[in-house]
Amino acid sequence: MDKSALSLKVDSQKFLHRNEFVGHVFAAPFVFGFICFSLIPILTSLYYSLTNYSMMTKGQPDFIGIKNYLNLFQDEIFVKSIGVTLKYVFISVPLKLAFALFVAYLLTRKSRLVTLYRSLYYIPSLVGGSVAVTLVWKQLFARKGLFNALMVNLGLDAINWFGDKNLALYPLVLMSVWQFGSSMIIFAAGLKEIPESYYEAARIDGGNGLQIFLRITLPCLSPIILYNLIMQTISAFMAFTQAYIITGGGPDNGTMMYALYVYLHAIKYGNMGYACAMSWFMLVIMSIITLIIFKTSKAWVFTEAD
Amino acid sequence: MKKKLLAVGLSALMMMSMAACDTGNGKQSSGDEEQITLRMAWWGSQTRHDRTVQVIEMYEKEHPNVKIEYEFFSFDDYFTKLKTLVASDNVWDVFQLGGNFPEYMDKIEFLNSYIDSGIVDHSKISDAYLKITQDTEGNQIGLSNGLNTYGIAYDVDMFKAAGVPTPTENWTWDDFANAARKIKAATGHYGSSGFTSSEFIAGCSTYVAQQGAVGEYGFFNLELTGMGFKDPQMLTPYIQMRADLIKEGASPDAGAEMEITNIENDFLVTGEAGMTWVAVNQFPTIYDVCAQEGRTLALATVPRYKADGPAGTVIMSSQMLCVSKDSKHKEEAAKFISWFQNSVDCNNVLQGERGIPINSDVLAALQQNATEGQKLMYNYVDLVGSFPTPEKINVLSPAGQDQVVDQYRNFVQQVATGSITAKEAAQKTYDAAQAIFSK
Repeated sequence: MDKSALSLKVDSQKFLHRNEFVGHVFAAPFVFGFICFSLIPILTSLYYSLTNYSMMTKGQPDFIGIKNYLNLFQDEIFVKSIGVTLKYVFISVPLKLAFALFVAYLLTRKSRLVTLYRSLYYIPSLVGGSVAVTLVWKQLFARKGLFNALMVNLGLDAINWFGDKNLALYPLVLMSVWQFGSSMIIFAAGLKEIPESYYEAARIDGGNGLQIFLRITLPCLSPIILYNLIMQTISAFMAFTQAYIITGGGPDNGTMMYALYVYLHAIKYGNMGYACAMSWFMLVIMSIITLIIFKTSKAWVFTEAD
Repeated sequence: MKKKLLAVGLSALMMMSMAACDTGNGKQSSGDEEQITLRMAWWGSQTRHDRTVQVIEMYEKEHPNVKIEYEFFSFDDYFTKLKTLVASDNVWDVFQLGGNFPEYMDKIEFLNSYIDSGIVDHSKISDAYLKITQDTEGNQIGLSNGLNTYGIAYDVDMFKAAGVPTPTENWTWDDFANAARKIKAATGHYGSSGFTSSEFIAGCSTYVAQQGAVGEYGFFNLELTGMGFKDPQMLTPYIQMRADLIKEGASPDAGAEMEITNIENDFLVTGEAGMTWVAVNQFPTIYDVCAQEGRTLALATVPRYKADGPAGTVIMSSQMLCVSKDSKHKEEAAKFISWFQNSVDCNNVLQGERGIPINSDVLAALQQNATEGQKLMYNYVDLVGSFPTPEKINVLSPAGQDQVVDQYRNFVQQVATGSITAKEAAQKTYDAAQAIFSK
């Protein structure tokens, strides 16, 4: 073995023995994935949003500047889809969080079955995004589905859930609320963190259940609420499966979620450039709303320091 | 020790990936009898899936060196998948296309040279039938799976129960709407079922072609470079009728329409509607399903604008199989397509489910043992074939039509809920269609 080969071996051994090496190796798949499947596509989409790119045509797309962004505001369906999505977010997120907190609160009592119940309530979150459950949901609310069968048996009129543009969104909202499990688990963990002594002190002072909840539980839980609020808001903005499978965006675009409209333009209509512009606009809306939540949080989130 | 293991592992991984590259290169350079894999996909109903899988297995048995990997989808999902494959230059070797092929032109390997060299056998296929899957420049896009046309399938007993005379070959849209209303009133079921994806072509666009003299108007012009009619209000009565039927419950609303995912759970088949749209190749299947439940279906022509006006419907290619430009085994793919259309054994399994075969031997063989539903289909196609047709027709769809169809359906829903008038809807549909040419 000559000298250079030897030094190479020594070098590589040095490298292998450095402490960070294993860390780098373990981080590599993530870094690789992030760069290839997140960062590069994100940047590419920014470029495409300035072109008339379509997946159907080969060759270089034409650069058309901000025309896609200007066209957005002349697009009736786009404007409508923003309205629909905001409505969906503003109704589904508070309902979901309230329900998650309620169930989490119920499950704080000391009982052996609590773990079982928690698992049971968590199941919808595990399966909720799947197509199969969405199809079940579609059947439940169908014209002759379970809910309408119950209504008819109770002597009420059947409701045409997905045929009425004003109603069609609510089954979708309900489906989102039903998947409250992951927020519930986080709330449950948060509730456990609240020191028992606070409650004891309150009870000694004669506080009733509601007072204790409002004055102790909620403030102590507020950082967790903030976290859940932001996470759920972001995920609600990206809702797609329900609208795509159950209603297809109809009737009269009453359930045309933003993500669905992006999908339609990108894949079905062959306007990838326009769809990219929509996505970037969505990013701006989501950032603004998240920012507002953060800014207002100073007023209602209590930290230990306060 | 641990680190050594890691290094060994990493290098092993690298060697494996290098080996994988090797086999990839080797495949292209070796000889004829070498094992090849063709990828194929189609859309359709469960019947089609079952039969096609069966003939693929037949082909693999006859050609041990060919393995066919297949995928099947519903109509919408098929095109979603196809579009992503187009973008990644990885389209299936053999794939199914309909009149919407212009959008995929970049990916289609023309079959002319394969026909000339005899790889694709056309001895039993007339030139006229080869032509139905050629573009205007004579490029052979694919081989047609069969002839097809649109019609209305109806439930004979429901018509009787409602006291509606059975449709004649030149019934009008007014007759159609009346029948739908009477069925609704008498049975409580929908008069006419959901007009899903084919309604735009078979209904709205046919309605335009039915006005004026034969061939005077079309929804798009023959060159697919603009509109084929000037007055948007020509659409108004049709849109008004569609919206009225929805409003009166004689036709499903948007929510109910979403419950129909393919022809096999159409409301006509489930017994909840008196009529539905079909591409006639779908008819034998639903005929059999309904016959098992003791119901009788029949085929009627697409209603006309005027009883003595043009029919507006034409015989066309239902779908075709194409070879993709991305294919590494174009010859083998062309061979398979040739077998698929020309083999009597193969078509005895397929039973003309994709359309009436274009190979005369195959057609004769099928007609010999035709079922009741198939006989109705053959007679119907003969009937439509006897109607006067324009000299030049173009049954293709311009790129961008999907968006027009979605917008159009939405406008109809808006008319049904009263948020716009039929006149406005007609104008908006026209504008939306025109917009695809000014992109």
